[in-house]
Amino acid sequence: MKVSRLAILLLVLALLVVGAAQAQDEKVLVVGHAEATDSLDPARGYNQTTSLIHQTIYEALVTFPEDSAAEILPGLASDWAISDDGLTYTFNLNPAAVFASGAPVTAEDVAFSFNRMINVQGQPSSLASTVASVAAVDGQVVITLTQPDPSLLAKLAGPGFQVTEAALVQANGGTDAADAATTDAGEAWLNGHSAGSGRYMLDSWEPQVQTVLVRNPNYYGAEPGYYDRIIIVNMPEAATQKAALESGEIDMALDVTADQVPSLQSADGITVYQGSGNIIHFLLMNANPDVGGPMSDPNVQQAVRLALDYPGYVSLFGGVNPASIIPAGFLTAYGPDRALTRDLDAARALLAEAGYADGFEVTLNYPVFTFQGVNMETNAQKVAADLAEIGITVNLNPGEIQVALESYRNGLDQFSYWFWGPDFIDPLNYVEFLPGMKVGGTRAQWTDERADETILSLRDQALVESDPAARTAVFEAIQDYMQQNGPFAPFLQPGVQVAYASDIENYFWHPQWTVDLSILSSAE
Amino acid sequence: MPLHLYILRRVVFVIPVLLGITLMAFLIANAVPADPINANLSQRAMSDPEIVAAFRREWGLDKTLPEQYVTYIANLLQGNLGRSIKSRQLISDDIARFMPATIELATYGILVGVTLGITTGMISAIWRNTWMDATARTISLIGVSVPVFVLALIGLYVLHVKLGLTAGPGRLDFTMTPPPTVTGMYTIDALLAGQWNVFTNALSHLVLPSLVLGLFIAGIISRVTRSSMLEVLGMDYLRTARAKGLAERTVVIRHAFRNATIPIVTVIGLSYGSLLSGAVLTESIFAWPGIGRYMYRASTSQDFPAIMGVSLLFAFIFVMVNLVVDILYYFLDPRIRQS
Repeated sequence: MKVSRLAILLLVLALLVVGAAQAQDEKVLVVGHAEATDSLDPARGYNQTTSLIHQTIYEALVTFPEDSAAEILPGLASDWAISDDGLTYTFNLNPAAVFASGAPVTAEDVAFSFNRMINVQGQPSSLASTVASVAAVDGQVVITLTQPDPSLLAKLAGPGFQVTEAALVQANGGTDAADAATTDAGEAWLNGHSAGSGRYMLDSWEPQVQTVLVRNPNYYGAEPGYYDRIIIVNMPEAATQKAALESGEIDMALDVTADQVPSLQSADGITVYQGSGNIIHFLLMNANPDVGGPMSDPNVQQAVRLALDYPGYVSLFGGVNPASIIPAGFLTAYGPDRALTRDLDAARALLAEAGYADGFEVTLNYPVFTFQGVNMETNAQKVAADLAEIGITVNLNPGEIQVALESYRNGLDQFSYWFWGPDFIDPLNYVEFLPGMKVGGTRAQWTDERADETILSLRDQALVESDPAARTAVFEAIQDYMQQNGPFAPFLQPGVQVAYASDIENYFWHPQWTVDLSILSSAE
Repeated sequence: MPLHLYILRRVVFVIPVLLGITLMAFLIANAVPADPINANLSQRAMSDPEIVAAFRREWGLDKTLPEQYVTYIANLLQGNLGRSIKSRQLISDDIARFMPATIELATYGILVGVTLGITTGMISAIWRNTWMDATARTISLIGVSVPVFVLALIGLYVLHVKLGLTAGPGRLDFTMTPPPTVTGMYTIDALLAGQWNVFTNALSHLVLPSLVLGLFIAGIISRVTRSSMLEVLGMDYLRTARAKGLAERTVVIRHAFRNATIPIVTVIGLSYGSLLSGAVLTESIFAWPGIGRYMYRASTSQDFPAIMGVSLLFAFIFVMVNLVVDILYYFLDPRIRQS
C-alpha cells in the first residue's frame, strides 16, 4: 500500500518535471481576451475577435501599417491600378505568396474567396455592397464596382476580404456559387482549421474557451512568426485578465479598463499601452420636431454641444474628446486639439434665442450598458448634470440594450445617448451621420428636406471623391459644419488600454485588428 | 406505496411541467420588444435587406409565432433542440460542450458547501449560544450575505495573485492540453486517461471557484441545519434516549440528525439545482466556460432557440433534483413509505 502510494507520487512528480521541461522548450504566447465571435469563417465572422485572429492566419490583397490605418500598403497584391471612372480595380499578385499548404496564391483563389463571402450573404458581405463582380483574368484580380467607392481599398484590408485557398475550402464543403447562402457548408471546417497564408495557422478553436494558433512553417515572407504557439484565452472579465497577467498566467491582457491602469503601471514587469480607440460616444437630438420637440431646434442642438463639460468625460474614462463624429486618428480627422470647448454663456444665449430662456424638460434614452469599460449610466448622469447648468432638465430613461435599440434604430428617440464603432477604417464610414443616411437620416430623422444645401452637397462629394487632397478638403468641411450644425453631439472617444509582459517586443495597437499578434516576439 | 409506483407517479408529472416551460420560455422571449436582427447583425449588415431576409429565412423568423412554436415542439419531440442563432451550432452540441464544466464545478461546490454547512450547522446547534455558535453563524452569515462576485474577486486576488495558494482562472493552466473528452469533466477524463498531472492541475483550478460557490451554499445549509437540529434536540424522544443511557454522540447523530435531515436534504437539492443551472458571475470571473454564461449570452442576443433549449434543460435539472430529493424522503421518512 505504502509502496504504491509512493510510486504514484513519484509518477506525478516525474510527469510534472517532464511537463515543465517541455514548456520551457516551446515558445508560447498566452493572450487574455473577451471573446466576441461565433464564427472564424471569413465569410461569416465579423467582430473584434475575428479581426484579431484573422490578422494572424490570413492575408488580404492590401493592408495597413502596423500601427495605424493612415495608408494602404501592398498585401498579397504587389500593385494595383484603378480605372479613370473609378469602377475597375486591377490587382497584380505577389508571385512569391504561398498558402500554408505550400500552394501558390492565385487570382482564382482571390476571386473564389471574395465571391464566396459575397454569396454567403453573411455580415461581412455588407462591406461589398458596391462590388459588381470579382474575376480572375490572366493571373490578375479584377474587381468592378457598381459605383465609385473611395473606401474600397480600406475595406479590402478589413474583415471579409481574407484570401483563402480555394481548393482546400471547396474540398471541405465551401462554395462560391450564387446560391452559397444556402449551399455553402464550409463554416464548420473553417472554425477548426485555416486555409490562409499568414504567419500562423489555426490549430483549434474551442468557442468561449480558447483559440490555439501554431506557426506556419511555409510562411513565404521575410519574418516568420516567433512563437511556436499563440493561445488566445477567453476571459470576459477585465478583473480576471488583470489578475492573470499579474500572476504571469497570461502575457497580454487586451481588455483592461482605465481604472486598472494605475495599479498595472506600478506592477513590475508589466507595460501598459494607452491610446484612443475608435469608438465615438455621442448624443442624438431628433431633427423631426414631432419627435424631437425642442431638441430639433438647431439653436438648442448647438447649445447642447456648447454646454458639455468635455474634459470631464475624459477624466472619467480616459481617451480624448473627438473634434467631430470622425474619430481622431482616422484619415482626414481633426485631432482632439480641435474639439469643441464648453461655453455656458454662449449656450444660454442660444437657448434664449430659441425661446427657451427658462429651459425645458427632456428625456434621455440610453442603454444600461458598459462597453469596453465605459459605463454609459455614469456618462448619462453627467450629461444631465452638464445640461442642468443651462436650464435643461434631463430625465434619465435607461433601457435594456436590445429594447433601447429598437426606438433608436427606428428614429423614435427624442434625445438619446449611443456609441458607434466603425465597420471599416475609413472616414467614409461616418457619412452615415449625414442627412438622409442611416444614422443621420433614419435615426435622427435629419432628412434631405430638413438639411441645407451645404451639407447635402458635401455629403454627395464625400461619397464619390477619391482624390486624396480633395477628399481631405471635403471631410474637413464636413467636420467644420458638424461642429456648428446637425443633430449630434459627439463627446468622448474613450481610451483603449492594453497591458502586457514587458519582455514582449514589437507591440502596436491597431484600429482594425487591435494588435497584430503575428509580429510579436519576446526578448530572449 | 411501493418505490417504483412512487417514482412513476413523479415522472408522469414531469411531462406537463416541461411542456409548460417551453411555452413560457417561448412567450417571454418573444414578448421582449426587441428584434434578434438588432442583436445579431452589425449596423451595416442590417441595413441590407438581402442580408436581413436571408437571416430571417435561416432562423424561421419569417413565420408567425404559432407556426414557430409548433415547429419547435415538433422538432423537440424528435429530440431536436434546433440550432443556436448566436453560435450557429446545434443546441444539443452547445449544451454538451458547456454543461460538463458546470456540472463539475457545481459538484465540487456542493461537496464543499455540504461539508462546511452541515459541520457548522451542527456545531451551532449542539453548542448553542457559545462562542463556537457565534463563529459558525458569522461564517454562514458571510456566506449568504456577501455577493458571490465579491468573494470571487477577493479570493482571486488574495489567495491566487498575492499568496499564490491556489490556481487562477480557467479549468487548466492555459498551456496545458485538456484530457481526451469522455465526460467533458476534466478531473474524471484525466483520471480515465491516466494523466495525473492534468488531474492535479484541473483539481487545483477547481479549488477557488468551488470554495466561493461552496461558501455561499454552506451559509444556507448551515442555517437550515442549525434550526432543524434545534427543533429536534428539544423533543421528548431525545430526552428518552438520553435517559436510556445512550452516549451523547449516538443521541445526536443517530436520533437527532436523522430526523433533522428532511429540510436539509431539501435545501441541498435546491442548491445543487441552482448551481447546475450555472453561476454566471462566478463563471465569468474564473473564465469558466459553463452553461450559465452560455445562457446569459443567449438571453442578451435574443437567441430564441438557445433560450428555449437551455430553459428546458434547467427545468429538467430541477425536476430531476426534486425527484431525487423525493426518493431520498422515501428512505429517510418511514411515514412516506407507509402512506
